[in-house]
Parts: sequence; structure tokens; C-alpha cells
Amino acid sequence: MGRGTRLTRRTLLKGLLGGSVVTLGLPALELFFDPTRTARAQGGGGDSGFPRRFGLFFWGNGILPERWVPTGEGDAWALSEQLAPLAGLEDVLTIVSGTKLGVPNTSPHFAGAAGILSGAPVGDAYGENTFILPSIDQVVAAKLGELTRFRSLEFGANPGPGLSFNGPSSRNPPEKSPFALFERVFGAGFTLPGEEPIVDPSLGLRRSILDAVMGDIAGLQQRVGAADRERLEQHFEGIRGLEKRLAKLEEDPPNLAACALPTEPLADYPDVEGRPKLQEKNAAFAEIAAFALACDQTRVFSNWFTYPVNNTLFAGAPSGHHQLTHDEPDPQPEVHKIVLQCIEALATQIRALRAVPEGDGTLLDHMVLLGTSDVSLGKTHSLEEFPLVLAGGCSGRLVTGHHYRSPSSENASKVLLSVIRAVGLDAASYGDQGGQATEGLSAIEV
Amino acid sequence: MKHTRSRVGRWGAAAALVCASVWTSACGGGAAAPASDDAKVTDDVYAELVPAAPVLTRLTQAQYRNAVRDLLGDDLALPATLEPDAAADGLLAAGAAVTTVSPRGAELYEEAALSLARQATETPERRARVLPCEPTAESMPCFGQFIADVGRRAWRRPLTSDEIAAFELLAGDAAQAFPDDPVAPFTWALAGLMQSPHFLYRVEAGEPDPEAPGARRLSAFELATRLAFFLWNAPPDEALLAAAEAGDLDTADGLVAQVDRLLAADRAREGVRSFVSDWLHLHQLPELKKDPNVFKHFSPDLAAAAREETLRVAEHIVFEREGDLGELFTTRTTFINRRLAAIYDIPAPVLEGFGQTELPADGPRRGLLGHVSFLGLHSHPTSSSATLRGIFLRETLLCDMVPDPPSDLNTAIPEPSPDAPTLRDRLQVHLEDPMCASCHRLTDPVGLGFEPFDGMGRVRATENGVPIDPTGDLDGVAFADPAELAAAVAASPKLTACFVKKMYTYAVARPTEPGEQGQLAALTDAFEADGRRVLGLMRAVAISEGFRRVGEVQ
Repeated sequence: MGRGTRLTRRTLLKGLLGGSVVTLGLPALELFFDPTRTARAQGGGGDSGFPRRFGLFFWGNGILPERWVPTGEGDAWALSEQLAPLAGLEDVLTIVSGTKLGVPNTSPHFAGAAGILSGAPVGDAYGENTFILPSIDQVVAAKLGELTRFRSLEFGANPGPGLSFNGPSSRNPPEKSPFALFERVFGAGFTLPGEEPIVDPSLGLRRSILDAVMGDIAGLQQRVGAADRERLEQHFEGIRGLEKRLAKLEEDPPNLAACALPTEPLADYPDVEGRPKLQEKNAAFAEIAAFALACDQTRVFSNWFTYPVNNTLFAGAPSGHHQLTHDEPDPQPEVHKIVLQCIEALATQIRALRAVPEGDGTLLDHMVLLGTSDVSLGKTHSLEEFPLVLAGGCSGRLVTGHHYRSPSSENASKVLLSVIRAVGLDAASYGDQGGQATEGLSAIEV
Repeated sequence: MKHTRSRVGRWGAAAALVCASVWTSACGGGAAAPASDDAKVTDDVYAELVPAAPVLTRLTQAQYRNAVRDLLGDDLALPATLEPDAAADGLLAAGAAVTTVSPRGAELYEEAALSLARQATETPERRARVLPCEPTAESMPCFGQFIADVGRRAWRRPLTSDEIAAFELLAGDAAQAFPDDPVAPFTWALAGLMQSPHFLYRVEAGEPDPEAPGARRLSAFELATRLAFFLWNAPPDEALLAAAEAGDLDTADGLVAQVDRLLAADRAREGVRSFVSDWLHLHQLPELKKDPNVFKHFSPDLAAAAREETLRVAEHIVFEREGDLGELFTTRTTFINRRLAAIYDIPAPVLEGFGQTELPADGPRRGLLGHVSFLGLHSHPTSSSATLRGIFLRETLLCDMVPDPPSDLNTAIPEPSPDAPTLRDRLQVHLEDPMCASCHRLTDPVGLGFEPFDGMGRVRATENGVPIDPTGDLDGVAFADPAELAAAVAASPKLTACFVKKMYTYAVARPTEPGEQGQLAALTDAFEADGRRVLGLMRAVAISEGFRRVGEVQ
């Protein structure tokens, strides 16, 4: 497919199959958000009919817990040394410290990743680590993803294979190129508010093929074993998502005032001195994600800045990240600098969301972003004092401007249960086995 | 139930005899795992094969691209990204039977199919490859022939009449949607064929074996598909499909004839390259990142060169030398370009591209474990790593289990100092602390044997001014330098058994099951007896009972 631009993207549909493109006016459809819900609290923004969204920001190899925990608690607190890049954002943040993961630490890095992101112990699939439950972004997408063109978006500056899991051995591969993500969301198939929907004779044929594929998959499911039936079900869901996307092409685009095209990213971000341009790539991704939400193309994203065990050469670092976490003597000054780069990238993502005005607040007010990692102290693969940063009040459902310090090493899954309830899931629990939480963290709920 | 083993001579020498022996369940059935004492009951008896349940294997990215090339031609712009491959049992080939197609993957498959179908039908020259007639307003009569022919190649089996009818319906819709475009029905039918699970997956349901009541085997088309992807990493060609259709693959002679034909074809080289890439994790090479301030010979194109060197050496040993597996590790022959020659500090054999050369006899570099693809990939960005190299050697080449480190363990090692100038000195803490030693004594002592190579793979005599001590032992076999370590790897019985397991797993394209241990042991013994020739092993696997049989759907 060719590149899209603001003026020509409709004609790009021709790039797919050479069909001629015509447009027709259709009656505007009423938008479905959740306009009836009323604001419950101070969290900024209030409930003004904007959709609730969820974002995840993940970096690999953890933190240095001794330099992580903010000073002060409750509403009177100050950023720690490692959280310093978040300066100026305190009013939209909630830092949760002092929690730990309830899952057994059976596999360094991956037990923690599975523990925080799925609430469940890590699984083993033929020698490879896997989640046994969906990651939180997909738990949320199961509800919020039904209404938008993309069920969820996954991307990252140096994402590795990503950790967005639909279930065992079923990952959603992250996009590694900001330009490719831009094309995917804002290229062919995207219409700005007020523009007329796309009508293309190809759409019916594409739908016929997808119907046939679903029929073939369903037929195969009768003939294969239980595990393959599950795998095919996942494929089936993907096809269903494509059908939904075709239908979206024929609808009027969501009428959101904040919707606009993000800055077009560079085609490539070549390494400098063997070091990837992580901050530049992340900044481009962060803005695309913000406008993908603002234009209601999706309500769920996960930004995989780096990944567990990544040995990335960060700017200025003398060795790879993972090697340093294990080999560098205390107090690990080089590891500290790398954590600061990760938190800087988190700050960039938060600022990009806060930069989009929405209603009488910002986009960030109508969502919650969770920032976390796979371990706390990388050197020992510790799951105590787990790093958890929340941003955005989710239309008044979560407190902001707060540091909650757990007095009793509570299960970190409680935070995730609060988060998924805040975005609108009617969930009785989160996670499984040791990681399971059946109640949220009331201190961060409004 | 146990079966008596009947040993036969070299496979290459006695095709019919070998075949007969492998064919009957009385001889080939065995399954003994090198790792399991249960596998080989006595010296002459293997545990009986319990065929694995059929599984659905997705085409890997490379297989998808090869399938497109064979179906539509080699001049199409292939999709840049597809559903990523992921490993199971250390192999992408097996992971394709475990992982799923994600929503993003489904999107990429649709995009690819639409684009490829358009490309394949956009010029008369390309249309001539796939269409039986040049479309005109009246060309629908040739659509039936088109869908039957192309469908059979795309789905690697004949389409049923219902399936053909469904595509005729789609073609009719396309003709209606694009009344002025007589090509449209063909384009859309192609797009549909390539999105179907029958194209994207290798469907292996199996069928009752008429010659062995109660047992199941792959159907002829399923077997043809498994053979072609194993030996060529590509779908079956017309001759193989025809052999399947004619029932040739149901007979021992017919199967052997096709296996020998496939192995003798040029495409077997692609098959071997694909296996070696998967076995040695060469797909990880794009992660080869070095600090150019530390390693001045690093450049972004090095990964591709390192991969090519390893694949060419493998091709040379397997095809030109028909050599022993051990030769892969002991050979001084290699194929390098100027960039690799600079790293190896030897004259470049050719100015452009890759040329054959001999590594110096008095140097430490030998075989695959002397390549940048091993030494550089299993190192850190700014230094070598005895641990990473040791883990690869243990897990990937010898099939040893290296447990994960316990949690909450302090993993720091000392910085280089006058007291501990070399990595060997600094890693001493791994061996002194019992918590570390249980695993690190598996990895570090062998990994330290490669310390005469820096993190990029260049030869060095000293580290921080102190001479490097590369001595050690591999499972009791002492070595004084990397060349001797390579020889110890080459001679390790673990290498032989592990290689057979990897080859078999790759061939059946799914993780192996416990019921196949006897089959593996039988293949390992036969491989050994045959002088560990890789082509001989591929042949033996392809005609083995475990390759052809399936269990009941579970």
C-alpha cells in the first residue's frame, strides 16, 4: 500500500485492488459513548460524554527501588530521583508504591511481566514463556475494542515481541515503525470528522472473502483437536475484527472535535553510534497514539518502550541495559541513568495525551494510563516494591495527584482491578492464583 | 509392546532395503529418546512409536513467501511484514504449530492477499502464469479450470466441488462489482484463495491406514505437503502433487523415489539453509548490535553477512562434502566477504561477495562456533559473554537443560580489577556461590573456552593485559583452546542425539511427544551408523514412520 496524506488517502484504497472509489453521503449516525454517566469527582475533566480509554506504557528490566519511592504520602508528596522526569505532571499522576506481585517468581523477568500484566503466573509453552491469561490491555479491549475501528494498538520504540497476549501463545505483535503505525491508523481507511464515509465496490467483495474465511475456519474447527480449535478461534476473532473495520469505513467518522492528524513521523530512525533513537521514536508513537484515541480509532493502546531482558544500548550507556542491571556494582549509576530515560519516555507519552484538549479538560482526563515494568530491582529480579505509575483520572473515577504507599505489601493486582473497573469493566476479580485480586485499591478509586 | 530393531547398512547404499526396514512397523517404529532411559529398552529394542495427534501448523513467514513465489512468480513485491514467527522447543518451525494468528496478523494476511492478487493479475505476462486464458468479457468458462488448477497448487490438494462453487460465486460477485474489468473475477478469487486457512495452515487430519488396521497416517496430499516444506521449505511442486494423486506416496518405493528426487533438487539447498537458520537461531541476527566505539568492525550490514557465512558453510559440508555432522564444527573451510575477512584478520578471498577460503591452521577459529553468527550474537553489545555462549552451546546444540536462576539472587559480578582482570577471574563468583554454581558450572566453563574471541568474534590473546586462559572441559573431555573445544563438541554424543531431535522436530513441524522417543533413538543410531551424514538423516526422517503417522484428533 502506498503512503497516505491528508489529501489523497481515499484514493489509496485503489492501491488495494484497483477498484474505482466513489463517495456517497450517508445520514450521520449518533455516536455511542457513555453520555449518561455523571462525574463523580475531582479527578479533572469530569464525565462529559467522552469515551473512556486505556493506555499501557511498559519498559523492561525494572527500576532501582531505593531511588524510586516518592517522599511523602497522600496528596502531599514529591517525586523521587527516578521519577524526576515526570516533573510538572504531578497533578495528573498517582504513584502506587509498596505493593508486590502475588505470583511465584519462577522465571526471571517473565514471571513478573505475566504477574503484573495478567495477574497470573507465567506459563511454559514448549520451552517458551507465555501468559496463561490475557494481558490487561486485551482484558480491557474485550469490552472497549468492540466500538472502534481498531480493537487495540500495540507499538513501541524497541518493543521486542511485545507482551500483549490474547491468551496462551497468542501475542499481538507490536508495530516497530512510527511511520507504519501512522499509515495504518491515518492512511487509507481513515476519515476525519465531517468528511464523508468511503464507499468502494471492493468492500463488499472483501467482506465476502472474510465471510468465506470464517466459514472455512469454522469448518476446520470441527476436524481439529481442542488446542487447535482455540487457536482457530483466535484467528476467527481477527477476521471478525476486519469485518467490523470494513463496516466502519462505510459509517460517518466519529465526530470528535479534538480529532486531527498527528505529525507525520520520519520514515526511518537510524541508530546513532549503535544506539537506537528511542526518545525520538517514542515521541512519534506517543503522538500517534494520542490522536488515535482523540479520533476514536481505538480506545486501547499499549506502548512497549522496551522489553524484559532487553540488552539495548541506551544513549550514553557503557553496556547493554540487561547486562548492566546484573553486572554493575551498587549503586548502579548507569542503570539509574537508563531508568531515567525510560521514565522520560513515559513522561513523553503522558504529555502527548495531556496535550489534546477534550471538553473542558484534556484527553488524559478521560482515560487512565498505566506505566510499569517486569521487575522492580533488575539485579535480583525482585517482585517487591513494584513500580506502578498511573496517569489520568478516567473521567473522575480515579484519584490523581496522589502517592499511595501500601502499608502492608498489598497485591499489585488490586491496582489493576481498580483500573479495569474505572474504564468500565464490571469485573469481580483480576488475575489468577497467587496474583488474583478480588477487591480494588480503594485509596486510588473515587 | 516392543519391537526388535533390524539394523541395515548405509542408507545411501541400499535404498530399497532401508526403506523396507523403515516402512514396516516391525522395524522402523521405534521411538527411543536419547534423553530417556525408557526409550531404548535394551541395546536392540526401541520403545514403540505412539503417533502424535495431528496439529495445525501455520506457514512460517519464509514458507508463506516461498508459497507465493511458487504460485504467482518471483517478481512480485512481497509483504514486508506478516504474523511474526515464534519458537517452540527452540524452533520456529515447531512454534508455527503452537502460536496463533493475531488480529494484526489477520489484517496483514488480508492486505498481503489483496496486494499479491492484484500484482499477479495486472499484466498479461503475469496473468499468463496463473490464468489458463487471457480474460475477456466472455472468459468465464475458463474460470473453472483456473480455480481448479490454482486452487490445487495454493491449497496443496484438489478443491472439492463445493469449494469450487464458492469461488465461482465470488467471481460472479466480482464481475458484477467491476463489470468493465474482465480480470476482476480472477483477481478476487486469488485473493480469496490466499486468505483461506487452507492456504495459511498445513491442515493434517490424517486418514485410516488401510494396511495397518487401527492406525492412522497422513493422507497422500498431507504427506506431500509435509515432505516439501521439510526438504524445500516450500509447497509441493506439480510432480509431487501428481505423485500424491496417483497414490505413489502410499508405497515405500514411491515415497523413497520422491524423497530422493526432492533431496537431489537444487531446492534442497534452500531446505537445508532454512533448517540450519532455525536450528542455530540465525533469525535472531538482526538483534546483533554492537557499540561501534568498542567494536570498530561493527556495521549494520554485518548481521546479514554473518548469516550468509554460516549458511554457506553448512551447504558446503552437507552437499559438496557430504560430510559428518562433526565437520560443521571442525572445518577450517569458510565463505566470507571482505567485512568478515577483516574481522577474522585474513585476506579476503574475493573482492565482491562471498568466496571460499581456509582458516589458518595455527589459529583458534574452527567451524560454526568460530563464526560471528555465534560469537557475536551470543555476546553483549560491548563485551563477550561466557554465560550466553555457554547457554547456547548447552541448550541449542547439546539439548542440555539450563535452569533459570533462582529469584532474589544477587547476580552482580565484580568489575575488572588487578585482582580479577579477566572474565574467567570475575566469573569465579558464579562457581563459588552454590546458588549460582548449580547452573553456571554448566555454562561458564565451556563458555570461557571461547574467550580467545572478543564480543565481536575477533581473535585476542589478552584481556586487560593478561593472557587469556581458555582451557576447560566439556562433559569430561578436556580442551586447551577453542579449536579443541570445537572438536569436543563435534565428538559429543549429545550433539548427535540433539541434532536428530532438532531435525525431526523441524521435519514434523510441531513439538515432539514422549511417544516419539523410540523413533528418535532409532534415527540417532542409524544416523551414527551412516557416518552422521546430514542428507542421510533428512532422508531417514522423511521416510520414517513417525513422519508419516498421526494419532487420533485430541
